[in-house]
Amino acid sequence: MITVQASDFIRILPQEILSAFAILVMVFEPFLPSSRKVVLGWFSLLGVVAAGAAAVRTSYSLGPAFNASIAADPFSIYFIALFLLVAALCLLGSFNYLQRDNINHGEFYALILMGTVGMCFMAASTELIMIFLGLEISSLSTYVLAGFKRHDGLSNEASLKYFLLGSFATAFFLYGIAFVYGLTGTTNLMTLSERLSRTGTGGTPLLWVAIVLMFIGLGFKVSTAPFHVWTPDVYQGAPAPVTAFLSVGPKAAAFAVILRIFLGAFHAVGSVSFQMLWLSAILTMVVGNLAALWQSNVKRLLAYSAIAHAGYVLVGIAAGSAEGVSAVLFYLTVYALMNVGAFILIAPIAGTGERALRVEDYTGLGYTRPGVAACLTVFMLSLGGIPTTAGFLGKFYLFRAAIHAHLIGLVIVAVLTSVVSVYYYLRLVVVMYMREGQPQATSEPLPLALRVALATSVIGIFVLGLFPLLLKKKGEAEASPRHTKLAQVR
Amino acid sequence: MLEAYLPVLVHFLVVLALGLIILGLSAWVGVKRPSPEKLAPYECGMPPVGDARERFSISFYLVGMLFILFDVEVAFLFPWAVVYKSLKWPGFLEMFLYIAILLAGYLYIWKKGALDWSR
Amino acid sequence: MIWLSQHPLSVLTFLPLAGAAVIAFLRRESADRIRGVALAFSLATFALALKLFLAFSPNQPGMQFVEYRPWISSPPIGYHLGIDGLSVLLILLSAFLTPLAILASWASITSHVKEFFLFLLALETGMIGVFVSLDLFLFFIFWEAMLIPMYFLIGVWGHERRVYAAVKFILYTMAGSALMLVGIIYLYTVTGTFDLEVIEGLVAGGFAGLSGSAQTWLFLAFFLAFAIKVPMFPFHTWLPDAHVEAPTAGSVILAGVLLKMGTYGMLRFCLPLFPQASREFAPLIVVLAIVGILYGALVAMVQPDMKKLVAYSSVAHLGFVVLGIFTFTMAGIQGAIYQMCNHGVSTGALFILVGMLYDRRHTRQIKEFGGLATTLPIYSAFFMIVALSSLGLPMLNGFVGEFLIILGAFHVRVIYAVLAAVGVVLAAVYLLWMYQRVFFGEVTNEKNRKLPDLTDREKVILVSVVFVILWMGVYPQPFLRRLDLSTAHVIHRVKHGPASYALQRTPPPAEPAR
Repeated sequence: MITVQASDFIRILPQEILSAFAILVMVFEPFLPSSRKVVLGWFSLLGVVAAGAAAVRTSYSLGPAFNASIAADPFSIYFIALFLLVAALCLLGSFNYLQRDNINHGEFYALILMGTVGMCFMAASTELIMIFLGLEISSLSTYVLAGFKRHDGLSNEASLKYFLLGSFATAFFLYGIAFVYGLTGTTNLMTLSERLSRTGTGGTPLLWVAIVLMFIGLGFKVSTAPFHVWTPDVYQGAPAPVTAFLSVGPKAAAFAVILRIFLGAFHAVGSVSFQMLWLSAILTMVVGNLAALWQSNVKRLLAYSAIAHAGYVLVGIAAGSAEGVSAVLFYLTVYALMNVGAFILIAPIAGTGERALRVEDYTGLGYTRPGVAACLTVFMLSLGGIPTTAGFLGKFYLFRAAIHAHLIGLVIVAVLTSVVSVYYYLRLVVVMYMREGQPQATSEPLPLALRVALATSVIGIFVLGLFPLLLKKKGEAEASPRHTKLAQVR
Repeated sequence: MLEAYLPVLVHFLVVLALGLIILGLSAWVGVKRPSPEKLAPYECGMPPVGDARERFSISFYLVGMLFILFDVEVAFLFPWAVVYKSLKWPGFLEMFLYIAILLAGYLYIWKKGALDWSR
Repeated sequence: MIWLSQHPLSVLTFLPLAGAAVIAFLRRESADRIRGVALAFSLATFALALKLFLAFSPNQPGMQFVEYRPWISSPPIGYHLGIDGLSVLLILLSAFLTPLAILASWASITSHVKEFFLFLLALETGMIGVFVSLDLFLFFIFWEAMLIPMYFLIGVWGHERRVYAAVKFILYTMAGSALMLVGIIYLYTVTGTFDLEVIEGLVAGGFAGLSGSAQTWLFLAFFLAFAIKVPMFPFHTWLPDAHVEAPTAGSVILAGVLLKMGTYGMLRFCLPLFPQASREFAPLIVVLAIVGILYGALVAMVQPDMKKLVAYSSVAHLGFVVLGIFTFTMAGIQGAIYQMCNHGVSTGALFILVGMLYDRRHTRQIKEFGGLATTLPIYSAFFMIVALSSLGLPMLNGFVGEFLIILGAFHVRVIYAVLAAVGVVLAAVYLLWMYQRVFFGEVTNEKNRKLPDLTDREKVILVSVVFVILWMGVYPQPFLRRLDLSTAHVIHRVKHGPASYALQRTPPPAEPAR
């Protein structure tokens, strides 16, 4: 008999609050005239803030919940905070966008909130079925969000592609879960970890199949190399604020799951996971960075860059140590700041209907819109990993963990591909500052909400770039309790 | 380990063989006397006219989807009904919340005009 | 104020950045005020650097004016600054060249003046930061961050092929430094610290964590980054592009300071940290350096473009510096350091002179000129002095450095000295031949007849340069005196560094010094 206690509900308080706000937004939506839908946006933001406060409350009563299917541990709190940050930035970036592109429906905000709920559950679950549910909740919301521009062909294509390939990938994940259950008789990660370590290292070929299947499912979500083909099309077609959300949220959530499953539950069969991660990291970095070189569309360029960044994160995971986990957590936050910043900034530059998206459209932007161009430059430099920005320190910590784990070959590939990446990040800077001409990009002033979001990202990038320990200390705390066993992964 | 599944395999083969045998027998032994009525897609009912891939009003799909949605969710009431005595008040509250969320959804589609056939 | 006077290196490093911040708040339209502020801050930095140079005690071994603050505790990264004889000279050089670069671009930079001077001052902070950092991580941050302003200076204010040159410059340099980053992190994982002095101490004490092959790989990782920056033959191809396309100020800083960072890095990191590998690779590097000297000189000789000629002469001059360093002799290394400064002053001045001509005629083709000595007498005189200093005429600065380097090379192998001397002769050939074609003879091009001679601003620049050239040529003692201990230190490290390391893998948990 499963007993439910009051503490269980406190341990999922942020998710509850987000869900409640999402439902309320849906209920209010039909009652508001089109001109005042933005009220729902601010209301959703309030929900995110409230969920943040709830997360603080939850952090005072950590522990397992709902029969150990969910864990409120520092790890999950960290990720929940990250998702809330991403949601808040995307909300701030979308208010004006929705009005401008005439898709001003309150459902947008509700879907963002529900997607966040799903991601929070993914990071907090210690039970494969719950992880799957979280994955589905977040996926369904994002499928709809990708196609939110209903009258735009590209957006429809993005939604459909994301849905078809996404459901295919979740099927792989589910298939993997089924295998795991068949082999071990449990879907609980803790029990799984115990049973696997009792049966000794190595595992059976059937277990390897299960591991690979689950990795394929998650690899799709984080867009690692062989499973990345959907990424550019979806990122290009989806509305820019949604792309911002997609490129960070589900990705970070899937990384949280990868950490929990492959470094936590499967640590007894670490060598299989390790080989898979190693190969995938190399492929992802090479494919992402090389493909980005040839892109002429800014959104596709950033999509390939997002693929490449997944590769860097995999380097940290392949290190398989507590140090690596901590580096991954830090990197994901940094990545969230710079990537969300870049994508929500693209929206106002591209103008109504997102027409100015080619790299050449940015010509001369540095002089017509110095503030916008300066922000974009900061994001690009940070993505490229130039020192004094957080992007550099993020990579530095990842590489340090990998070198500690003697993955020197992997790190050399990583640094060389990241030099390649500097080329395409600087292409934007080149056209903005070094080419003569009138920009195609529009020049309406940035709305206040967007300014707030951008300022948060830029300041965050510099603060974390100079004083990483403000966050890194947290990252280390998250990495230690849950993953102490990780050190012996390989 | 796989030996345990041997009966399943045998079962599978027997079923396959049986099906093939029955179909084969009826094709071989049966008497065929076709007539226009017998060759029609339906022996009774309307004769098919025109293209089957006709466009339906979007409302059909909408109603279909909504029906499945609410129908499936109501199905959750059955397991609850079996154990609601042992769940006591918390169980009641939870189901109350569940119905309330369903109601919110209902309110949403109502106000959105999804139930308004003439639109 | 007391805090400021107790932390002269921090103040020196960040004073230009403060200037950049001030400029950021000035109005775009008031271009002259922006230029004035930039000049004031760069002059203040120079004054401070001069004060530091005078206060630097030549008799005290080790680092001086040391500052240490823990910065990031995990991994242990310290804000660790300090200077020795090597860096004090290069800091002085950087601080000297920046005001000149500002003055040189006073009238020639007319678009986006604010951003230009902002980047120039930010660049100065980066340069000085590289020379004062004693923490590998901090060093790397300055080293990389400095590329961004330089990239913009070339890319925005450069000439026709500026974008190509800027991107090539940044990608070449980053490719090298990326591997250096791997090396730095690896060094950290075996020693447990980023602190240069601690690592150096460990290495000198026969630290067991570094195997011979690891040392070789680390040496290569560091050396490649520095060799690209210098640039040594065959990694030099970015240099002509970057120099030619950069605006005058950019070329001055590039040639004057940025190239020196490569040779500085070799002296500061490669030699003391990886002595055995340095000794093993020295013959190869010396040969490459000599190839660089001869190749640079021969290519410079056939250049039709004055700026390109000066650029290739840099390849040759830096070949001298590398040659001097890898002789591992007192004379060679002292000469190398001295030559670094000479090259900074002389080549910087050559770029300024070419830039002045370009401002007047908007071309740098040698064949466009001829007989300028009659139309521009003062300019021609200055050009002569600088050219002579660059080719190493006795009594001028270039001579001292080249003489010491050749002396050092002589001790290693006579043939090295002979080939280097051939390089000196070739330098005389290409510089004087260029001088002859540009300044002597009849005025062949009518456009050259009515060129205005130097303005007062330009005279100020050139007089100060010539003053330094003469001083360094006639009385090098104040400079060389400050180098003695540092040079001896480096030589001691590289010559008596442990021959091979035991193959143990137990990094001692090292605490940063102090």
